[in-house]
Amino acid sequence: MHGAANSSGMGARSSSDIAIDLCDLRKTVTVGFRRRHVDILRGVDLSVRKGDVFGLIGPNGAGKTTTIKVALGLMRPTSGVVSLGVCGLGEVGYLPENPYFYDYLSGREFLVFCGRLFGLGPEQRRARADDLLDGVGLKASASVHLRKYSKGMLQRIGIAQALINDPRLLLLDEPMTGLDPIGRLEVKRLIQRLHSEGRTVLFNSHVLADVGELCTRIAIMKAGRIAWAGTVDEALALSPQGLEAFFMHVVESEA
Amino acid sequence: MRRLVAVAVLVLAMTVVAAYQATRPERAAGDPRVFVPTAGFFEDFSPSFRTSIADAYYLYMVQYYGEHIEADGRLDSMAELVDLVTQLSPRFIKAYQFGVFALLDAGEGQAAYQILQRGIEANPDEWRLPALAGFLMYRYGQGETKNQVAADWYARAAAVPGSPVYLERLAATLTAKGGEREKAQLMWAQIYADGDKYSRAKAVTELDALLSTNPAVRANELNAVREAMSLKTFGMLLRDLGIEG
Amino acid sequence: MSQVVAITLNTFRETIRDRVLTVIVLFALVMIVGGLWLGSISLEQQGRMMKDFGLVSVTAFGVVVAAFIAATLVRKEVEKRTVFVLFSKPVSRGAFIVGKFLGLAATLAVVIGGMGAFLFVMTLLVGGGASGMLLAATALIYLQVLVLTAVVVFFSTITSAILSSMLGLGVFVAGQLSHNVLSLSRIGADVATEAVSWVVFVVIPNFNSVDVKAAAVGEKAVDWAEIALWGGYLVAYMVVALGAAALVMRRKEF
Repeated sequence: MHGAANSSGMGARSSSDIAIDLCDLRKTVTVGFRRRHVDILRGVDLSVRKGDVFGLIGPNGAGKTTTIKVALGLMRPTSGVVSLGVCGLGEVGYLPENPYFYDYLSGREFLVFCGRLFGLGPEQRRARADDLLDGVGLKASASVHLRKYSKGMLQRIGIAQALINDPRLLLLDEPMTGLDPIGRLEVKRLIQRLHSEGRTVLFNSHVLADVGELCTRIAIMKAGRIAWAGTVDEALALSPQGLEAFFMHVVESEA
Repeated sequence: MRRLVAVAVLVLAMTVVAAYQATRPERAAGDPRVFVPTAGFFEDFSPSFRTSIADAYYLYMVQYYGEHIEADGRLDSMAELVDLVTQLSPRFIKAYQFGVFALLDAGEGQAAYQILQRGIEANPDEWRLPALAGFLMYRYGQGETKNQVAADWYARAAAVPGSPVYLERLAATLTAKGGEREKAQLMWAQIYADGDKYSRAKAVTELDALLSTNPAVRANELNAVREAMSLKTFGMLLRDLGIEG
Repeated sequence: MSQVVAITLNTFRETIRDRVLTVIVLFALVMIVGGLWLGSISLEQQGRMMKDFGLVSVTAFGVVVAAFIAATLVRKEVEKRTVFVLFSKPVSRGAFIVGKFLGLAATLAVVIGGMGAFLFVMTLLVGGGASGMLLAATALIYLQVLVLTAVVVFFSTITSAILSSMLGLGVFVAGQLSHNVLSLSRIGADVATEAVSWVVFVVIPNFNSVDVKAAAVGEKAVDWAEIALWGGYLVAYMVVALGAAALVMRRKEF
């Protein structure tokens, strides 16, 4: 197994090829009354190429969500460099983990609101909202208040709002949580479609089967670092028993 | 069964609550001496609520008067209350008007006069206050010069633009002998026109005594005082005097 | 710009829903009962009583609504993590603060405007000489409430909602006593006390520069120049408070 030497998992690339580049990212937070220092990220090096479907996997507490938040600017890194190969947040779509949205808005109102945040015109945002509602199968519930949405519906409206601006880069934190098998299938199909459209998708997941099915490249995070990164085929080559076994091996072997 | 008991207990409790309150004896009039802060206390406190505090104390003052005038007739703190209200809100004309009569009832005519003078200084464009001062002097004042002083007040009231015409007449005739009844009638008519229920009641009593018992003369005299008030108020006065039409 | 508009409309929709209508109805009832009762015990001074106590009521309701709703505006977004949805998009922290503030300002305009209009009508009905000054007084109360809102929004970026509300109410009271601080600063025994008092005087919003209630009941003459100046000061204060809130938000992580 490879450690830091191969943690970026690739050779030299021109910068226009890179969608996300994280360089030695560190994040320390102070917790609790005694201001205890906790290192969440301990030097993350990650490169996501444009057009990749990139799976970020790891045990709980490894720092996956934090990595995404730092990439987005929701958190500031203690040190390290973040570069996004897009023009700015205007071309990024984000689905947070366990999303919560404004109770008192209907599905359509919420999407129109998001469209407005991106500066879309009135006609445009209404059209996009209706298209997306249709696309995620929420057309019937478009006028229902979000307060009444089930978890699965919230997840789907979450994906819709991540797509409202037609983003080139999508960051999805546990996109399959709370979905029934049909929902999960739809999300998988969606991710495949996005990939075929040339967009870059990075997502966290616990479900290794999905990761194996969808991703072009994966990275395994452990204790605030990238323990391994490479293509799914590379991983399977190293561990013929399957992705799960490979994952367990990486996670348990690193010091 | 348990439900029935619970409902019964609730009904019983409600009955007790209502019955207790219903059987409380009439509240005796409170202590005629009450604590009245000085105006200075409030002035330091909060200028933007000064008028609100004045209004609150005004209402309190009216209640205080109403409570004690019937019960024990003691208005020990009346002067402080009137003083406070008029200092916090010097342009509150009604406070002076009510205050003067309340203080007369409290036997504090001197205090009434002083407070009224302060009010006149603060409200140079208001003719009712100097007219009230003139009335006060004429009716309740003492000493040989009281009529002259009263006349001066009426003259001052008459000099205010928009004041009624008869004020000049009063000013001119006050020092002259004779026609005392007519002058007093006019003054009380003015009090009635401006007054609240308490001062109106006083005015009616006084007017009734001053007016002639002879109906024809009475009618003439009433006509004479009509200029001190609006038609509507005159109608009220007639009703209060027990006269039809 | 469109972000500010989007957040403003959203916040307006959020805040106008339940509480506001209840407040207006409650106020209306209090006014009706109070006004009629006051008339009966004030020896026909209903007009003055209605105006004075009416304006006090508008102030009180406005302050309460501002203190308690403003405190949760920002907090709720952070706690419910809807901020993730916002700040993963090209929305600046400043636009967020301004949008939240303007949304609540719009709701407050409805609440205070509603109460003011109702007060105007009630005063007319009791024959109290409702004048333009009454409406001007309501407008100035609105401005003061907005300043309080901005202050509470600022507090809510650095502390809990409850504490922000309490501090807000404290600032409101302190603002009523602003002139006292000034006198303190002038009779200060030493330069240090004077300087500290003066700083406190500048920092605390001046909520009693012009006695609008007195002007509305005819107690004082109206000085429109003074009022305009004070209004300008209040707007400037709002800007400072919101700016401070935006700066704090910039440093925040989610």
